[in-house]
Amino acid sequence: MRSLRLPSFALAIPAWAWLVTFFVVPVGAVLYFSFGYKPGIFGTHATDVLSFDRYAEALSPTFFEVFMNTLWVGIAGTLLCLAIGLPVAYWMAVKAPAHRRGLLIALVMVPYWTNFLVRTIGWQIILAPEGWMSQLLQTVGITDGPLAILYTRTAVLIGVVYNYLPLMILPLYVAFDRVGPALREASKDLGANRVGTFIRVTFPLARPGIIVGLLLVYIPLMGDYITATVLGGAQGNMVGQLVASQFQAAQNWALGSAMAVLLILVIMVSAAAIGFLLWLVSLPFRVRNRVVLEATA
Amino acid sequence: MTTATEARTVSHPDQQDAASGSVELQQVTKRYGDAIAVDGLSLTIQPGEFISLLGPSGCGKTTTLRMIAGFEQPDEGDIRISGRSVLGAPPYRRDVNTVFQAYALFPHMTVAENVAYGLQQRRTPKAEVRQRVSEALDLVQMRRFADRKPTQLSGGQQQRVALARALVNRPSVLLLDEPLGALDRQLREEMQLELKLLQSRLGITFVFVTHDQGEALSMSDRIAIMRDGRIEQLADADTIYARPTSAYVAAFVGQQNFFRGTATEGGSAVESEHGLVRGIRSDRLAPLADGTSVQAAVRPEFVRIEADAAGGAPSTGANRVQGTLLGVSHLGETMQYLVRLGDDQSLIARRPTPEAPDLAVGQAVSCSWSDASVQVFPSDDAAAAGGYVAPPTH
Amino acid sequence: MAEKSTPIRILASTEQVPILQRAIDRRRFLSFAAAMGGTAFLAACSSPGGSTSSAPVATGGELEGSLNIYTWGDYDSPDVVASFTSDFGPKVTFDSYGSNEELISKLVAAKGTSGYDIIVPTGAFIPQMIENGIIQPLNKDLLPNIEHMDPAFLGRSWDPENEYSICKAWGTTGFVYDKTVITRELKDWNDFLDAAQNEASGRTSVLDDPAEVTGLYYWANGIDWNTTDEADLAACEDFIVNTLAPHISAFDSYPGGQAIPQATQVLMQAWNGDARIGIMESPDPDRWQWVLGSPATELWMDNWAIPVGAPHPEAAHAFIDWTMVPENQLLQVDYIGYHTGAAGIEEAANEAGLEMLDLVFFSEEQIATMNDGEVNEAQQVNVDIWNKAKAAAGA
Repeated sequence: MRSLRLPSFALAIPAWAWLVTFFVVPVGAVLYFSFGYKPGIFGTHATDVLSFDRYAEALSPTFFEVFMNTLWVGIAGTLLCLAIGLPVAYWMAVKAPAHRRGLLIALVMVPYWTNFLVRTIGWQIILAPEGWMSQLLQTVGITDGPLAILYTRTAVLIGVVYNYLPLMILPLYVAFDRVGPALREASKDLGANRVGTFIRVTFPLARPGIIVGLLLVYIPLMGDYITATVLGGAQGNMVGQLVASQFQAAQNWALGSAMAVLLILVIMVSAAAIGFLLWLVSLPFRVRNRVVLEATA
Repeated sequence: MTTATEARTVSHPDQQDAASGSVELQQVTKRYGDAIAVDGLSLTIQPGEFISLLGPSGCGKTTTLRMIAGFEQPDEGDIRISGRSVLGAPPYRRDVNTVFQAYALFPHMTVAENVAYGLQQRRTPKAEVRQRVSEALDLVQMRRFADRKPTQLSGGQQQRVALARALVNRPSVLLLDEPLGALDRQLREEMQLELKLLQSRLGITFVFVTHDQGEALSMSDRIAIMRDGRIEQLADADTIYARPTSAYVAAFVGQQNFFRGTATEGGSAVESEHGLVRGIRSDRLAPLADGTSVQAAVRPEFVRIEADAAGGAPSTGANRVQGTLLGVSHLGETMQYLVRLGDDQSLIARRPTPEAPDLAVGQAVSCSWSDASVQVFPSDDAAAAGGYVAPPTH
Repeated sequence: MAEKSTPIRILASTEQVPILQRAIDRRRFLSFAAAMGGTAFLAACSSPGGSTSSAPVATGGELEGSLNIYTWGDYDSPDVVASFTSDFGPKVTFDSYGSNEELISKLVAAKGTSGYDIIVPTGAFIPQMIENGIIQPLNKDLLPNIEHMDPAFLGRSWDPENEYSICKAWGTTGFVYDKTVITRELKDWNDFLDAAQNEASGRTSVLDDPAEVTGLYYWANGIDWNTTDEADLAACEDFIVNTLAPHISAFDSYPGGQAIPQATQVLMQAWNGDARIGIMESPDPDRWQWVLGSPATELWMDNWAIPVGAPHPEAAHAFIDWTMVPENQLLQVDYIGYHTGAAGIEEAANEAGLEMLDLVFFSEEQIATMNDGEVNEAQQVNVDIWNKAKAAAGA
């Protein structure tokens, strides 16, 4: 008798089904709507006539202006998360006692135990000019006047770091943890000090994790406007808000979809551009350390 | 095979300096919390010596090596390399290199880049780097794999690269942390030979950590048998094998049959349950008072075995026991016999295959050995229980 | 026992909890929740139509055992809901939405199978919902307590005969300013716009809604705020984007939640109920001054309505009728801080000793200056102006 065996790709079916249902189909729908139009004031979208007109409408000066602001928040926020997350993740994976690491990871996740909106509004309260932080700083004498951070880009960055730092730290932690102590010891044994070991061994081996961390922060950050709006006020105007306004206020799904497609493209292109830039920067180092022997005689 | 010229270029320039390459450990102690890993250990290693630290896991041999390398700092005592104390010095400021147990090759670099790493850290000119990397790879016959990544190499090849990566720096001392542990048996034996040849050609001090007695016996100038953070015996292979100073060493190196009992005849014989076991107690060892608890050890290869003509009659005289043959195994050059003497005592005898008697399992047998093959030690519970055979041969 | 909507669990000190709670309740959730739920829209991509033929119709029969209400977060007095269940039987379940657009999308997508019995759309969206067949006519015979309603708040422009909807609560727009910073008296929208460009520059917020932002210009200048005239729209855009926006520091629909208690702004466009809560929560209520927008301003009204396909129409009618009982009207006003449209409710509230009622009730002359909004052809232009204003304010 023959026993029935599922082919090995069967294991991937749930993942594919999930991706198709929750990613491909919605994105496809958005793409389709973006070629349509808004049919009168009480309709949201129609696709009986397809055109690129919505893209022409979407690419307005307003879009570019808001987009530049979004790009600024996206890049500055991602780099700040990297600058803060990298040493923390390195410390957690390398220096912290092994039996404390579970606790440290739990602490990194603490912000995520609270609703996203609530924890952002929490920062609004902390940063308010007459909030307790402001009063504390004035009492201690660190600042003269009331705290003037709320509704500035500084506040936006504080919120971004708070909301996105765990997304940076966790992949970095895994990456550093995977490098393991043996290679660092080998490097030091071969004469490299701590900095040299980090630059030539730990960092290159952790690079996939760093890229994952950068993407995990950058992509959702480009689409997020809650953090920026709540803490940045008018300074936190993001493209995501522009997209949402077409769906929710204008009830113009066609134009909103076109903007959403543009946003997706912009995120992909900018992420690729940043990746290329990083590669370019690291090129001289790679070339310098390359060793090519003459062909064996 | 490499030539002597190549070998010389890799050897240390200060090789003639008398102190260069010496390692001294003075009363070194290392604790982890309440546990003592290394306990007041003292050891002097001569320049150019091949010394093995041998012992079971947890005996402190790896910790000792890591303290020499600089990965750990001793809590007490001093470590001197080439005559200078290295206390507090990080690994990258010590004139030693390590070949790691799992090789620890950098997976993102080619073989050549791995080997060049140490030279690049010393800001060696590019041309010299290429030159020395080539030589080092030639030395381990890995030149043609220079552009491969470590993951594309077999275990033995990775091993050679790890060796080249360490040797290219021309260290005074090379530390090897069970470097052959991950290789299969045949490759391991080949590498043992190569390592030994390489060491004698380069003249670099080798400190070799292993739990494999065969490895230690075959390569080392001297062997330090370690136990609980101390050196139990430090001697060359012949001495360790023929004249162990304790039951622990006797049991750890080669195989032993132990007979427990009380000392008699001035400590040179043991009155055991299975009769008198008489040996010759070395003058070098402390005397054992009659009546104290002792054990006698005799190696399987010294035990003669024959069919018991007396038909199970009790033994008469010393160094002769009767029992039942439990099993015979063919080990190639030798035949091994397992003999049951009593409820909790068995005996192993081993004879060269050509002269091995033909005996049937279950048969009554008689075993005997000479006085000269017996050693008497104070009782040591940890080392040997009655009939204990340790460790199994590899 | 009725379930209260928006249960939130917060890891914050107890003093902060009420502030946070307010921040996302009672229609304050609108902009954020809508934003976060934005993608849910995309699932609702099917076209309207397809009414259900088998849905029951209310004829005054026996009440069903349960009732599902889809409304704004925390928008009904728990006492009124509890007494309804204990007196009439149906167990009430609440679900909440953050915007009218979210409500419409969900009902359109469900095609009459949403399972909701009562919804609470804002007036301007009712014509659209009637046209798309989302809501069904009410059986007025089952709503005798409509006699307690003030006729001034019935028969509004979007549903002149109250065929489909009855006022649930209404509010208006004005502004709040910090008297410690703005020492002169501000009386109307022109004063608001002037102060925003002077002493309140960079510390002014406006409502985060296109019609409210453009409304500032139209109300101040005596133009119909539902105008679709191109010249009006262009003039409005020029003023809002180029003149006003650079002085705006935030687009905030609920300054009563944070900005007034935390004193983050000195001048804020605000809805009356939100302003009232903010001033009541402020540690120093006297520094804040509320001003009703004039010469003209808006009147927004949320309305009870029953969606097509409601499974429990009898209970739905009974509940709507129950909320119109005078004592329940008072409970509702006390709980939500907005006028419910009942006759004589101001006197009742005064007798009950409710606070700051000048921000809840308005004189007939004032009400005469308040205009209904509508969804019309200017919607897209208003959204564009709003977006451009945001871009200009952030620049």
